[in-house]
Amino acid sequence: MASKSILTCFLRPSCTTLLGSNGTVASLLPTSYVSVQQVRHRRYPKFVVRQNKRKTWHVRKWTQKYDDNLLTSNEQFIKDVIVENYAKNSDSPLKDAPWDRNPYVYGTRRTGVLALKLGTMLQWTTEGKPFMVTLLQVLDNHVINYVPPEVYATYPSHLPHHRQKFGLQIVGALSSDPRMFSKPYNNLFIKAGVPPKRWLTRFLITPNAACQPGTPLSVNHFKVGEYVDIQGRTRDWGFQGVCKRWGMKGMPASHGVTKSHRKMGSTGGGGDKDGIWKGKHMPGIMGDILRTQYGLKIWRINTKYNVLYVTGAAVCGRPHTFVRVYDTVLPRKKRPESSYESVPMPTWFEEDATEPLPEEYFDSKLFQFTSPSLEIEEEKK
Amino acid sequence: MAASMTIRNIVKQAIFIKNGSIGINSKLNVAHKSTHRAHNPNYNRTSAEVTLALRPKQNFLHHDLVDKHRRSPLQKGTEVLQTETEVKAPRDYRFVMPEFMPRPNFEDRDRVLEKLERCDMFRRRTNITIPEFYVGSIMAVSISDPYAPNKRNRFVGICIDRGGIGLKAYFVLRNVVDGLGVEVMYQMYNPTVHSIEVLKLEKRLDEQLYYLRNCPLEYSTFSFDMEPVLLPRDAEIPVNTLKVKLNPPPWEQKWERQNLKGIEPLELTPRMIRGIEMHLKPWEKYDLMLHYRSKVPEEEEEQIMSEVYKEKLKQDSLRKVTKATLRKKK
Repeated sequence: MASKSILTCFLRPSCTTLLGSNGTVASLLPTSYVSVQQVRHRRYPKFVVRQNKRKTWHVRKWTQKYDDNLLTSNEQFIKDVIVENYAKNSDSPLKDAPWDRNPYVYGTRRTGVLALKLGTMLQWTTEGKPFMVTLLQVLDNHVINYVPPEVYATYPSHLPHHRQKFGLQIVGALSSDPRMFSKPYNNLFIKAGVPPKRWLTRFLITPNAACQPGTPLSVNHFKVGEYVDIQGRTRDWGFQGVCKRWGMKGMPASHGVTKSHRKMGSTGGGGDKDGIWKGKHMPGIMGDILRTQYGLKIWRINTKYNVLYVTGAAVCGRPHTFVRVYDTVLPRKKRPESSYESVPMPTWFEEDATEPLPEEYFDSKLFQFTSPSLEIEEEKK
Repeated sequence: MAASMTIRNIVKQAIFIKNGSIGINSKLNVAHKSTHRAHNPNYNRTSAEVTLALRPKQNFLHHDLVDKHRRSPLQKGTEVLQTETEVKAPRDYRFVMPEFMPRPNFEDRDRVLEKLERCDMFRRRTNITIPEFYVGSIMAVSISDPYAPNKRNRFVGICIDRGGIGLKAYFVLRNVVDGLGVEVMYQMYNPTVHSIEVLKLEKRLDEQLYYLRNCPLEYSTFSFDMEPVLLPRDAEIPVNTLKVKLNPPPWEQKWERQNLKGIEPLELTPRMIRGIEMHLKPWEKYDLMLHYRSKVPEEEEEQIMSEVYKEKLKQDSLRKVTKATLRKKK
């Protein structure tokens, strides 16, 4: 507004005839123009934030389009329609027949699930030893898509040494209101016939373990006693110093030390090895990176709330972080050949259960709280 | 000069009219302005946009959002948590069973985990009786020990501390054995614990009695053959107002700074007084947010404790039935 009035200062008096009536001024003056004044101060903003490098094949996820004229009564109606469309009429008779189910063989890689980390808990073994477990909830998981190996080989993310061994299984978690998402994002879920998911991920699978889009994944995909790998983003610590980020010792608190109690000291040697080498541990942003825990045992499964109890308190992230859970790749912790027949392939279906499922499964070495107190025996050497 | 002033006034008026009449005459000629960020990557962002881009992104969901998803009608396959509405627990029941209260920090909390943990605790409580006790009560605990005679170890002592949440709950007992102070920490839900008895139910004036370490041993000496002291039913928990006398310094901690009620007045040196004054925090009692954050909101506390109370009533009634049947068999 101020700049507009400045511009008018430079108008010659002859222009006043043009500006005779008040109403016509706005339409005659251009509303955008280049500033004619010199700028001596620093450019604003002082720094430019780099954009997220979104891959060209990723669709935009969120939208903020909303209708201001929507009344609360209509809002409820729209919610009802969404529930009716997605939750009630999910099984369409026009969909294709279920895919063939192959047996589990050596080298098969099944899909994983997207789980929510809930927190940690204490449990005891039957020998009376305490240990920590982490609880993971498999909430509202569905298979969204399957990409066969031939197609995946043409993708930019394909690793050439995989050749055409693996296909992609896309899995989503947490059904949400489709109005939150953009149209192209919502269109990803048409094939599966499920509501749009808050979280998506993909697993590399062998083609014999492919699941049909729309298949629900539950905690019964795994069994007690098996080992899993868990991937997730670690807790975001922000910019941290060297003591916290790399566990360096710092310097003494006294004895003449000033202002360098938590500094790193020397950065390198001299002579041939001089300079700061690449990869030198220094302060910086800590956490919020992808990390994997390998070979964690499943001690207990709750089928009512879809919860896995997994060894240790080291699953990355704070509570309510999303983690990817899949069969372990560690050769010594893979399932033995004798159990191949009982593996749910490609995943567990509700039709598989001949009897009603028990609420909980326990590992044989886990103490169950329904059993009486333990009598510990002397260790035999 | 005068001419330019008049022009400025006219233009100002014009702009004022233009801005005021947006609702009526909204069709104004606006030059095309590209807002597509892909075309001009280094366009000047507003300060609001910069702060939005620089704010720390959380890689986890808010607990309310997770609960909302669990309750959503679109969700299938996972049971929805039910809240307890029938029974109502007595007020301040959280002091009777403090380990059932979740930790107050909402970022570390999860309702499903808490429910499952409580479920495990109830199951354990059907197998052993964990009585009501407080810091200051005298207790006896027997655990399975392969190296002890009869493979049992019984320890009697005064409870000097109690803590832990959920299955991690613990308490610390202190006694004097062969002229030496001994402290043992027991996990309440450890399956190797065979029995927990309360020999004398009472409270002390402080929440932790670690200062007994710097007291004469007579204050923490209790006989292993002590007989349980019975209280009349529905009696209030007696408070032992004993004031112990501390040994002269050096002490394990700076007790004079901790505002303890269960010790006799100390002889303070000027150095001690200076220390007390330095570490005073008189503003804390006015810090409403501190009080609010230090405990779980009252509505949730009520919900959780009523569930606990209901389960307790159920277990007590079951126990009565089993006792009655045992008596009949005799």
